[in-house]
Amino acid sequence: MSTINIAQQGEQAIARSRRSPLRAFEESRFFPLALLLPILFFFVALNVIPTIWMIGMSFYSYSLMSPAPPSFIAIDNYVKIYNDADLWSAFSRTFVFVVLAVGIETVLGVLLGFLFWGSSNMPGRRLALTLLFVPMVVTPVASGLFWRLIYEPTFGVANYFVQLLTGSKIDFLTNVNWAFGAVLFVDIWMWTPFMILMTLAALGSVPKAELEAAEVDRLSIWQRLWHVIWPHGKFILMLGVLLRTIDAYKTTDLVFLMTNGGPGNVTELIGLKLYRYAFASLNIGFSSALAVILLLIAISFTSIYLWVLNLRRYREGA
Amino acid sequence: MSDKSLFQTPLSRRQLLKGMAAVGVAAVASNALAACAPAGAPAPAGAPGPAGTSPLAGTVGDEMRGKTLELSLAVIAGWPPSQLPVEMFPKFAEMAKEKYGYTVTVRKTEAPFAALFQKVAPTLASRSQEFNLIVSDSQWLGALAEPGWIVKADDVYALNPELDIEPFSSLVVETYQVYPDGSGQRWGFPQMPDTQGLFVRKDLLEDPAEQAAFEARYGRKLPTTYEELEPLTVQEWEPIFEFFTRPEQDFYGTAAQYSKEYDFFSCAYHPYVYATGGDIWDKTTGNVVGVLNTDANAAQLEYFVSLQKYQPPGSPDFGIGEMIDLFTQGKVFSAFNWLAVGLFMIPPELEGKVLAVPHPKFIFPDGERKVIGAMGGQPWVINAFNDDDHMRVCIDFLKWWYQDDTQEEFVQKGGLPWSKKGVNAPGFEDLKPYTRAFKYMLEEGRSRDFWHLPEYAELLAIQQEAYSAYASGQVTDPKRVLDYIAGRQQALLFEKGRTQTPPPDELRNLTLM
Repeated sequence: MSTINIAQQGEQAIARSRRSPLRAFEESRFFPLALLLPILFFFVALNVIPTIWMIGMSFYSYSLMSPAPPSFIAIDNYVKIYNDADLWSAFSRTFVFVVLAVGIETVLGVLLGFLFWGSSNMPGRRLALTLLFVPMVVTPVASGLFWRLIYEPTFGVANYFVQLLTGSKIDFLTNVNWAFGAVLFVDIWMWTPFMILMTLAALGSVPKAELEAAEVDRLSIWQRLWHVIWPHGKFILMLGVLLRTIDAYKTTDLVFLMTNGGPGNVTELIGLKLYRYAFASLNIGFSSALAVILLLIAISFTSIYLWVLNLRRYREGA
Repeated sequence: MSDKSLFQTPLSRRQLLKGMAAVGVAAVASNALAACAPAGAPAPAGAPGPAGTSPLAGTVGDEMRGKTLELSLAVIAGWPPSQLPVEMFPKFAEMAKEKYGYTVTVRKTEAPFAALFQKVAPTLASRSQEFNLIVSDSQWLGALAEPGWIVKADDVYALNPELDIEPFSSLVVETYQVYPDGSGQRWGFPQMPDTQGLFVRKDLLEDPAEQAAFEARYGRKLPTTYEELEPLTVQEWEPIFEFFTRPEQDFYGTAAQYSKEYDFFSCAYHPYVYATGGDIWDKTTGNVVGVLNTDANAAQLEYFVSLQKYQPPGSPDFGIGEMIDLFTQGKVFSAFNWLAVGLFMIPPELEGKVLAVPHPKFIFPDGERKVIGAMGGQPWVINAFNDDDHMRVCIDFLKWWYQDDTQEEFVQKGGLPWSKKGVNAPGFEDLKPYTRAFKYMLEEGRSRDFWHLPEYAELLAIQQEAYSAYASGQVTDPKRVLDYIAGRQQALLFEKGRTQTPPPDELRNLTLM
């Protein structure tokens, strides 16, 4: 060992002995916990406690419009939900909306994602990508309002072209045969860019070396997709699908602005129903029970995705 | 994220027990927390006392001198009559400074019809004085009065008899003041009454070419004056709507409100129900089944919706705003709308070309030709949780608001009066093209309001959704629509103890599918 090294070690030992209490705290095992404390505080205050409160409220009969205090009714609210045919029809409508919206957005997003991935030298690619992402960054309130105007049968742009082509107008938002599709289209317009983004991120996570090796080995496009791209990109892609599923499942603002759930109940999604029970009827007990059920369904979505994602590994491990 | 999923790692017995314990703790904690929720009816602030001591008497001495405060008004957005008090507020502030010696400013909070209650109710439920004075819709009276959120108007009248002004008709009292119905207990202070009418293009009616064409087609003269138009029934109006329906010119005979939004469809359809001699519910028994879902009401529903054939595309979504847009943009010959928005139905370019007549009549079962329209309009209500100073300012404001010169200015700016003196004022009928029709519809028995119950929002949501389903063709049987509404509303009213009769089993599980 050289003299210099010995000197350096000596200086470090002296420095250690002189370190400040702050430095000691930084190195202690409590430091990571301290860093987490602020976010934990907000998480507990804004998430955990309200959730527990909501679960509690779901067992009570309590309306803001009644002078009566909350009264414990056990699972009566849940029984009412179970027996309410309209709620089940809203659930099924929401399920169809989620499956169609997320399904179409994923297919379009993956296709367009591959297109942009494979066209890195295309002129104007950045501009095209930026324009493509605009719908995603516009708030649903603004999107809902201007799509409502676009669809408007008297002076809407969409109907101007429809009339040019067909000679008649379509009541996109008030015709029972069109309203659901019209809202679905706007959701797809808004959120396909998100799936493009996730696809590009997924493709970016594939190591170049493996892609080059696949090319050297002359793997077909399907083999490359299945053996090289999918194993690396699936997590990000599935995360995208998961986030979109949960988000589509919660869709309220868009339908509220475009159709208010109508005509009739054609676009009445479960989020809108919950909103009405909670904020129009101020029926806190019942809406809490419904919210708990929605929460459980959202959790089950997450669990199913995680399970599917790990199914192969689980089988291999078994 | 860890590679291990929740499903890869089997739960150990210890983990399972921990999880169950956590759930148990959560359940206990949640019940405890839920039980801590605010309960019970609040004691209203400003309980009445001898005049001069209670804040409900307003400012009577120097108790407010030198003070500075802000009065918070909650008003209906996009509804002109609601905006006028805010616009006119500086005059009140000037008067308050001069007469009582305090400085007052106004803070306006507004939201559309359906959203304002949702904005106001949670603040009142938490006993806040976020909004001191509120323009409420008439249907909200029960929801605001029953939990004790608003001051009882009778208590204010007892201390301020000058505020107890004689109304033009009992409709004013029944619609904007009394809860429960028929009890005589007053909670609201009339802000602005409103009734239904039909706005028509007088210039088209008076056009000789149109008159000749109409006479050639229908073999009778096209009515042109108020006197000729006022007695017409809806059925007699139909040929006129048909005559002016010209889709090739993008011009239509009429426009009515079929929207699912708030109470738009309901208010437009209710006159057709009243025309059968019936009602939408029985106030005394609380029953809906057997009252609403009659064959006569179903036929009227079918007829009302059939009038869409004289209207522009998109009619299932028409509300108050669409009536104004379509009429002022020259897309329709006539439009069914509230007379309170008359000023907005007649922009400068249509001045002299528009006539407003009362809602078309019906032939009632007894053979009488008459109309019972729906009542619109709003009352003021005072927050019961106001502190003494704000309570005094609210009362001072109302005293100023009901002064003759303030009311006169309100009417000149497009507002409508409700007092006997105001409505009967010389020249009122000719003041605007819609004031004559308004006065006609405010006469005894010519309009009717519906529910003032705390459950109004839920009752309304049920029928608006169902009516919208029928207007758009989602459901094609009008009787089924009424059965659906009746069953659901009866179940709700039974659950809330408003009726002793449960809904029949066959109506319980009807859906709109």
